[in-house]
Amino acid sequence: MKKTGKLSSTYLLVFFALLYLPVLSVILYSFNKSPSTAQWTGWTFDWYRELFGDPVIADNLKNSLTVALLTALLSAVIGTFAAIISMNLTKNMKKTLQSVMLIPLLVPEVALGISLLIFFNALGLPFGILTLVLSHSLFCVPYIYIMVRLRLVEIDKAVLEAARDLGAGTRQVIGTIILPLVTPSIVTASLLAIAMSLDDVVLSMYMSGPSTTTLPVHIFSRMRIGVTPKINALCTLILLGTFIIVGLSQFISRGPKKKEKIKNEDF
Amino acid sequence: MKNRGITTSKIKNNAPAIPVLVWVGFFAGVPLVFVLVISFLTRDSLGIIVLEFSTENYRRIFEPVYLKIFFNSFLLAGLTGVVTLVIGYPVAYITSKLKGRQRTLTIGLIMLPFWISSLLRTYGWRILLDYKGIINNILTGLGITNEPVTMLGTFAASLVGTAYMLIPFMIIAVFNSVDKLDRSLLEASYDLGAGKLKTFRNITLRLTLPGIAGGFTLVFIPALGLFFISDILGGGQTVYLGNKINELIGRGRNKPLAAAMSVAMVLFITLVIYIYTKVSKEEVGGLL
Amino acid sequence: MDRNLLEIDGVTKYYGDNHVLKSVSFDIRDGEFLTLLGPSGCGKTTLLRCIAGLEKIDSGDILLKNESIKALPANKRNVNTVFQNYALFPHLNVRDNIAYGPRVKKSMSRSELEAKIGEVLDLVKMKGYESRMPQELSGGEKQRIAIARALINKPDTLLLDEPLGALDLKLRKYMQKELAHLQREAKTTFVYVTHDQEEALNMSDRIAVMDKGTILQIGSPSEIYNEPADLFVASFIGDRNISQVTVVEKNDDHVTIRLGSNVINVRCSNKAGCDFKSGDKAYLAVHMDKMRIACEQALDTLKGKVGSIHYAGSQIRIEIDVDGSDFTVIEYQKNECLCGEGDTVWLSWEEKGGVLLPLLPLPGGLSV
Repeated sequence: MKKTGKLSSTYLLVFFALLYLPVLSVILYSFNKSPSTAQWTGWTFDWYRELFGDPVIADNLKNSLTVALLTALLSAVIGTFAAIISMNLTKNMKKTLQSVMLIPLLVPEVALGISLLIFFNALGLPFGILTLVLSHSLFCVPYIYIMVRLRLVEIDKAVLEAARDLGAGTRQVIGTIILPLVTPSIVTASLLAIAMSLDDVVLSMYMSGPSTTTLPVHIFSRMRIGVTPKINALCTLILLGTFIIVGLSQFISRGPKKKEKIKNEDF
Repeated sequence: MKNRGITTSKIKNNAPAIPVLVWVGFFAGVPLVFVLVISFLTRDSLGIIVLEFSTENYRRIFEPVYLKIFFNSFLLAGLTGVVTLVIGYPVAYITSKLKGRQRTLTIGLIMLPFWISSLLRTYGWRILLDYKGIINNILTGLGITNEPVTMLGTFAASLVGTAYMLIPFMIIAVFNSVDKLDRSLLEASYDLGAGKLKTFRNITLRLTLPGIAGGFTLVFIPALGLFFISDILGGGQTVYLGNKINELIGRGRNKPLAAAMSVAMVLFITLVIYIYTKVSKEEVGGLL
Repeated sequence: MDRNLLEIDGVTKYYGDNHVLKSVSFDIRDGEFLTLLGPSGCGKTTLLRCIAGLEKIDSGDILLKNESIKALPANKRNVNTVFQNYALFPHLNVRDNIAYGPRVKKSMSRSELEAKIGEVLDLVKMKGYESRMPQELSGGEKQRIAIARALINKPDTLLLDEPLGALDLKLRKYMQKELAHLQREAKTTFVYVTHDQEEALNMSDRIAVMDKGTILQIGSPSEIYNEPADLFVASFIGDRNISQVTVVEKNDDHVTIRLGSNVINVRCSNKAGCDFKSGDKAYLAVHMDKMRIACEQALDTLKGKVGSIHYAGSQIRIEIDVDGSDFTVIEYQKNECLCGEGDTVWLSWEEKGGVLLPLLPLPGGLSV
C-alpha cells in the first residue's frame, strides 16, 4: 500500500485545523477581557466567575440534565424492548417498525416541533419536562434500537438455545443471557442519547414551558440578543462535560474486550 | 431458513411490536396528521384556528414571497450538500487508505465534533467571521485586503456554518462506501491502460455513488431545518423555511400557514429520500 | 441395556417444501451410546434437535420413558444438548456456566450445587477451572465444560451435535476415547450426531445410518461395517469397491455371479436379503483393505491387470482393472506378490469383507 502522500497529509491537516478552529476560538475567547465578541483585549477568568453566580443558568442546566437523564431512561427502555422483539418479527413487520421509528429523524425538527406543539396543545399537556422528554425520546429511540440490535445479532443463537435446553423460560433467557450481553450497548447508546438531548435546540424551543427552558434554548436566545464571553465560558464548560461523557462511553465499550485471549494450542 | 429466534419456535410473534408502534406512531405519526389537517384550516385575526376547510395556505405558498423562501432554503441545503461533498470526499478517501492507529485516530477526530454542542460550533464561526475577528485581522494584516470584509450576515456565512455542522455526516457516508472499494478493481483499471483521472471517474466515483447519495441526503435534510445557524451567522438577512415557520408560529400567529409550509417541506424531503433509494437501491434504515 | 429409553415414532418434519424427516422410527436403549451417522443434509441434526425440543415435529411422536414429550417445550424436557460450537455463555465463568441449569430450574440447594459442580468438573478432568472465562479456554477445554454443563442436570439422555467437528485430528482422536469413557462413567445415554464414520465406528454401541431423512440401517458397528443393508450404507461406511455384476445362480449359502469374464461365488449381507434370481443385476461391494492380490490363479478370484500404484503414507493403493471394472486394493505392507504396472493378478478377499447387494434398497430400509 502506498504511504499517505504529502498532499494527502497536508489536506487532512488543514481540514482538521479548520474543523477545530471555531471550537478553539470559543474556548480561547472565553478568557477574553473585552465584552465584545471578537476583539481580544486581555486575559481574564471573570466570565467564569459570573457564570457560576448566575441562577438562571443553573436553573436551565438543571432542567437540561433532568430532561437528558429521563430521556435516556425512557429511550433505553423503549429502544431495547423494540430491539429484542424485533429479532422475532416477520420481515414486513420489522420493516414497518423500523420505518415508523425513523420518521422523527427524517422530518426536520421544525416540522416535528410544530406538529408536536399543536398536538400537545390539543391534548392539554403542560409544556415542560414532560413534553421535552417525550419529544427528545422520539429521536433518541432509533439510536438505542440500532445499537442494541447490532449487539443482539452478534449473539450466537446457539447460546440462546443452550439456555433453553438447560431449562430457562423466555423471561429467564432475556434476563440472564440477553440483557447482560447487551447492557454495554445500552449504556453507550444511552450516553449518546444524553449528549443528543443536551444539545437539542430547535425541538426544545417548541417543547419548553414558560418556566422550564433548557440550556441550549437559553443560550440560543442569548446569542440572538447580544453576547458576552460569558456564553463562551458556558460553552467551554459544556464541552468539558461532553468530553467526560464521550470518555465514559469509550471506556465502557472497550473495557471488557481486553480480557479475551483465545488459546489455540492443545488443551 | 431455520428460525432460531428467541423462542426458538417457528412462529413469528408480531404482537409485542404493537406497543412500540403505538408509541412511535402516536407521538410521531399523529402529530404529523394534525399538522396536515391544520394546514387546511385558517385562522382569525387573533391567531386562533378557525375550523374552516380552505386551501388558502397552499395557494399562498405559491406566492413569490414564499416561493423565494423555499428556493433559498433548497439552495442553501443543496449548496451545503455540494460543499460538504467536495471538501469531505477527499477526507473520506484519504482516511480509508490509512491503517491501524492512524486510521482510528483520524476517524475519531472526524466524529468528535458530532459530540460538541452545535451552538458552540456555530458560535465559533461568529467569532471567526466577525468584522473585528481573527480572519479579518489576518486578511488586513497580511495586506490581502485593505479593509475588513463583512462576512457575517451573508448567505456565505450561513453556508459555511451549515456545511461545517453537517460535514461529518457526509464524510462518514462516503467513507463507508469508499472503504468497501476493492482496490484490485483500480489496479485492474490501471493495468488496462486507464490513467488516474479516468479510473477515478469511471470506477471510483461510480462505485461510491451510493455513499455520495447517502451523504447528500444525510446533509440535505437537516440543512433544511437548521435555521438557528442562519439565524446566528446569517443575521436574518435571508429568510429560510425554518425561520419563517418559526416566525409564523410565534409572532406571525399563523399556525395554519406554518403547517402548510411544514407539509410542503416534508413532502419535498420524502421526494429526496425516494430519489435516494432509487439511486442507491438501499433501504432508508441504511442511512443511519 | 434392555429398556427402551427413547422411542422415535414416525417422526416427520418439513422445512417449507423440504421433506427433512420422513417418518423416522426407531428406539434408543437405556444407557447406550447411539450415533446418528450420515452425510450433510440427511436430517440427523434436525432429528437431534427435535428430540431436544429445539424444533417442532409435524407428525409422529417422541416418547421418553414411555411418555410423549413432543408437546413439551425444550426447557421442560429432561434432555440436554452439547452444541457443535459449545455455546458457552460468554459473560459467565466456568462455574456459572455449569451452574446455569440447576439455577434456572432451582433444582438444587447451594451446598448441593457446589458439590455437584466439583463432581462434574472431576468427571471431565477440568477441576480448578471454575473462575475461568470461556474466552480463555481452548477448544478441547470448552468442549468438556459444555459437557459438564449438560451432565450436571442428570438428563435422561445427552444429545451431542458433532461436538468434535471443530477440533484438530489428534485432539479429535483423543476426545473420541474420552467421550466413550465418559459415557460409561456417567452411565448416561448418549445420542451422538456425526458425519465421520470412523468416529461412529470407534465410539458407538449402535449406529443409525441416515440419508435423505430416513434411517437406512441401525446396528452395532461391526454389523454396519460387515453387513450393510443397502448400497448406500455399503458405500458410506468403510472404503469399498463397488461394481455391478450379473447373477448366474443363487445357492443356499452363496450366490454365483459374473463380472466380465470372471465367475465367482460371493455371500449376501445378513441385513440386505438374498432374493436373487438368475439374470438379475446386483452390486458387489468389497472392502478395499480386505482384498488380497495373488500372482497365480486360484478358485473364486477375479482376474485383472494392474494399473497404477500409489504410495500414501502408511497405505499402498493399487489400481486394478477387472474387465472394465475398477478395483482399488489397499495394502499396508509390501505384498509377497511383487507386482508392477501391467502385471496380471488374481484378486480375492476374506469372506467377511465382501457382500452382494440388491440393485434397489429394501423398502423401508430399516432393520433392527
